[in-house]
Parts: sequence; C-alpha cells; structure tokens
Amino acid sequence: MDPIIKISDLDKYFGMLHVLKNITLEIQPREVVCLIGRSGSGKSTLLRCTNFLEEPSHGTIEVDGIKVEAQGKGGEHRQQIHDLRLKTGMVFQEFNLFPHMTVLGNVIEGPVTVKGMDRNQAIALAEENLDSVGLLFKKDEYPNRLSGGQKQRVAIARALTMQPRVMLFDEPTSALDPELIGEVLNVMKKVAKDGMTMLVVTHEMGFAREVADRVIVMAEGELIEDSNPDELFRAPKDPRTKALIDRYRSGES
Amino acid sequence: MNLPSQESSVKKSQADLLFEAQQRKQNRFRLNVILSWISLLVFLVFLFSGIEIKSSGGKTEISYWRFRTVTENNRNIRKKIQTSTSSLSLGLPGKGVDIKTIIVDGEFIRDNLDFVATGIVETIKISVFSILLAITLALLAALGRLSTNPFIYALSTFYVSLIRGTPLYLQIFFFFLALPQLGIVLSGLRAGVLALGLNYGAYMSETFRAGLASVGKGQREAAIALGMTPIQTMRRIVLPQALRFAIPPMGNDFISMTKDSALVSVTGFVHELMWRATKVGRAEFRNMEALVMAAIFYWIMTLILTSGQSWLETRLARGDR
Repeated sequence: MDPIIKISDLDKYFGMLHVLKNITLEIQPREVVCLIGRSGSGKSTLLRCTNFLEEPSHGTIEVDGIKVEAQGKGGEHRQQIHDLRLKTGMVFQEFNLFPHMTVLGNVIEGPVTVKGMDRNQAIALAEENLDSVGLLFKKDEYPNRLSGGQKQRVAIARALTMQPRVMLFDEPTSALDPELIGEVLNVMKKVAKDGMTMLVVTHEMGFAREVADRVIVMAEGELIEDSNPDELFRAPKDPRTKALIDRYRSGES
Repeated sequence: MNLPSQESSVKKSQADLLFEAQQRKQNRFRLNVILSWISLLVFLVFLFSGIEIKSSGGKTEISYWRFRTVTENNRNIRKKIQTSTSSLSLGLPGKGVDIKTIIVDGEFIRDNLDFVATGIVETIKISVFSILLAITLALLAALGRLSTNPFIYALSTFYVSLIRGTPLYLQIFFFFLALPQLGIVLSGLRAGVLALGLNYGAYMSETFRAGLASVGKGQREAAIALGMTPIQTMRRIVLPQALRFAIPPMGNDFISMTKDSALVSVTGFVHELMWRATKVGRAEFRNMEALVMAAIFYWIMTLILTSGQSWLETRLARGDR
C-alpha cells in the first residue's frame, strides 16, 4: 500500500536553532501514529509542518498525493498548500474554537466558507459529527458555555466535518483538567476505529500504548525510535526513550 | 435530627444575610446617588430661576424677577421687572443676606426654541456621516498597519501622524477655507464631515488596531488549518471578533464626535445646533439663554447615546468568550 503521508528530508530552523533535523517519515492509511518526546524535542513543530502551519526550511511533504516542496513561491505553491490543508484536519492544544459562533456555526464554518458546500448539507454533516462526539445537544450554545473537554470534542467534530484524509492532533489533552481527559481520548479512539489516519503528538502514554499502531519517539529534532507500542514499552532501545518511559511508569504507580 | 446538616443550613442563611446586607448597602448607595443628582439638578434650575431671597432685619422677602417689554421714551425695551413678592416676618437679623439668581429671558427662549432645536437634525446628520467615514478610514488604517507592504504601512502611519499632529479646528478651516484656493470648493457640511471623519478616523484606527491585536494567534491558526485564505480568515474570524472588542470605545468616539460637530459651525454655512444658538444669541444679546438651550440639547443627546451604548455593551458581553 502507498503511504498516505510522506515526509522526506525535512529540516526546520527557527533562526539559528535547528529544530527538525533531516526527518523522513512514512505513514500508511488508517495508521494511528503517536509522536512522543520531551518538550522541545520538535514533535509539535513536525506536526505543524505537516500542514504547513509552519513552513519547513527544506524538504517535501506529501499527503494523499499532494506533494509540496518547502520554501516554494508563487500561486502554484500557495494552491498546493491549500490542497494539502484540505487533506488534513487539525486539533489544537488550546481548542481554538471561534468564540463568536455557536457550536454548529464553528463546525459548518469550514465546509461552507472554504469548500463552498451547501449550508443544509453542511449542517447535516455537522450534526452527524457532533452526534458522534456526543455533543449534538449543545449545537446552539456558544463555546464559552462548554467545558474544556466539550470544547475539544467540538474541535474534533469541526476538523472531521472538513472530511480530511488525515487528522493531526497537537497535544489535544494537555490543556485539560485531568478528569476531562478521558472523554476526549474516547472520542479519539472512536475516530481511530472509524479508520482515520491519525498523527498524534501526546504525553498520554496510556493512549499511545492502547490505541497507536506505531509510536515514534523524538529527541533533539530527530526520530530516535519508531516501533509498535508493545515493543517500545517493553524494550526501549534508546536510553532517552527508556528515561521517558520510566518517568511515565513512575507517574503511573 | 442530624446536627451537622442543621449547622450548615444555619451557616448558609448567615451567608445569605451577609449577602442581603451588602445588597441593601449597595441599593442605599445607589438611591442616595440618584437623590443627590436630583438635588444638583434642582439647584441648577434654581440658579437660573430669577428668584431673589432677601433676608434682613428679622424679615424675609422672596421675589420673582423676569424680563418684560416696557415702553420708555416711545421705545420698546426689555427690562428686568420684579413681578411678585411675598414676605415672611421671620428672618436673619441686621444686614442679613441677599441671594440673587440668574434671570433668564423666558420669552426669548420661547421665541427661539424651535429655531435652535431644528439644528439637532443637522448635528445628527454631520455626526452620522462623519462616523461612517471615520470607521471606514480607521479600518483601512488599522489594516494598513498590519500590511507587509512598506508603502501601505507608511501610508497608514503617515495619515495617522499628520492628522493627530494638527488641531481639528485647523483641519475644518483647511477644508473649508484653504481648498477653495486650489479650486476645490466644498460646502460647509462636506468640509465639516471630511475634517471630522479624517480626524476621528485617525484616532479610531488605534482602537481598531487594539481590537485586531486582541484576537489570538490560535484563532488565525485554526482558520488557516481549516483551509481559509488570508482574506477569509480576516473577514470571517478576525474582524468579527476585533469589531466586537472595538464597539464600546467606538461608542465613546461617536459621543465625543457629536459634541465636536459644534466646531463645524465656524464655517458659518452649516446650520447645526451651535450655529443657531450663537446666531440668535448674538442678534439679541441673549447669548446666555441661547447657549444654555444648546447645552441642554447636547446634554440630552449625549445622555441618550450613552444609555444606548451601555445597552449595546451589555448585549455584546453576552454570548461570547
């Protein structure tokens, strides 16, 4: 099978800082991949480069046949980035719901404004997705009336309603109170079960272990380990991975 | 009987009592403020009532003065006349006091009320046109400040600096008196609206800039991740939130613009409140009466606009964030 995400020779500098070092990564359709690592290891930057929220300094990104070279110029490059973004849905740590729109307004905004979808069709699709995250009854509320967990579930529904091929999650539970993390992880599990390709930056080792097909460990801008979760948690090869897992284990007990 | 629960219910009612006491205190304060307002207003009315209170030698005399037309040497002139007097056999000893208040020419006010009041329409017209121009310019200038194009950025900062660096009074004169030298003759209304709009646009662009800055980076990123173009992001996500933030200060600007519209009267060709008040005031040397009339009209307009603004503010506070 052809990979749905192909990242090749990717570099990213922030000024003098080399945050991503020649990264090459392939993800198969329907795969759930968790990116773990200490903060500052570059995992969020890698995720944000995948939909060009950060422009990479060098390399190529290919998602579902849309191939974009870093540092391109002109209208064609912009069009490619636009097409790439339509293939990817993104969920942020801070939810970033639009406060001036209702829940339903948030969810139909993308399809109606970006894709030019018929409003009624968008509403039908949005209601379906809100139902699947369990928040259809909140559709006429404004985001300020929702809990953090509910906001994040709406954000997931918003991304799904764009019907992307790939979902990117940037630490989706890090801003949540501990008792609200479970409901978001459950929704993510459901999305995974429905066959969505997912790239998840997370600190939730339990989720990585239970749901991921692959876990990739990053440190200092490099992928230092890439294997299935059982193997990784049982026998980490790199000492840095071992340290990460030990820390998680000590927190667990 | 469950003691702990009883205790907690006692505690709760105590908290309620405290809350009620606080509420009562607040209500009393508010009531006193209203009463003080009313007494200040009554005092102001008394100040202009023409009543004279003379209290001396154990007697008090209250008299009422007004303007009357009298004929002297075959000429009609308006003169202050003491019209009615009532006295009390109670008062301060010795020289005592003599309190005189301002005598207002009521007949003059009655005769000219309609003429001055008609100016309200013109005042509102100037204010509305100017604010529309100002909002447009302010928005463009604020967006210009975000531009990566150096010329557009410079244009926006240049405009703001030039306008804020010169007096509004001068700007009005410039558009009305200086432009005709270049062959551009603007009516008083147009010159006034142009000057006020340009002036307030420069000040309001700062408000809009703050509004745009108040929209977090995450909002833009979420819009971009959905595939929105920069224009769509601005129009659908950033501007609606920025405008919401900017509406209360914009209300303030509109209120002060309504008052600054009085400056347009210097052109002599816009018959708004201030122009009408000064015209009739000068003609009959009744400037005080005329200006008091205009002041009352401005004050009422401002009160209405202020209450409208606070209504809008509470409405906007609902719903989001």
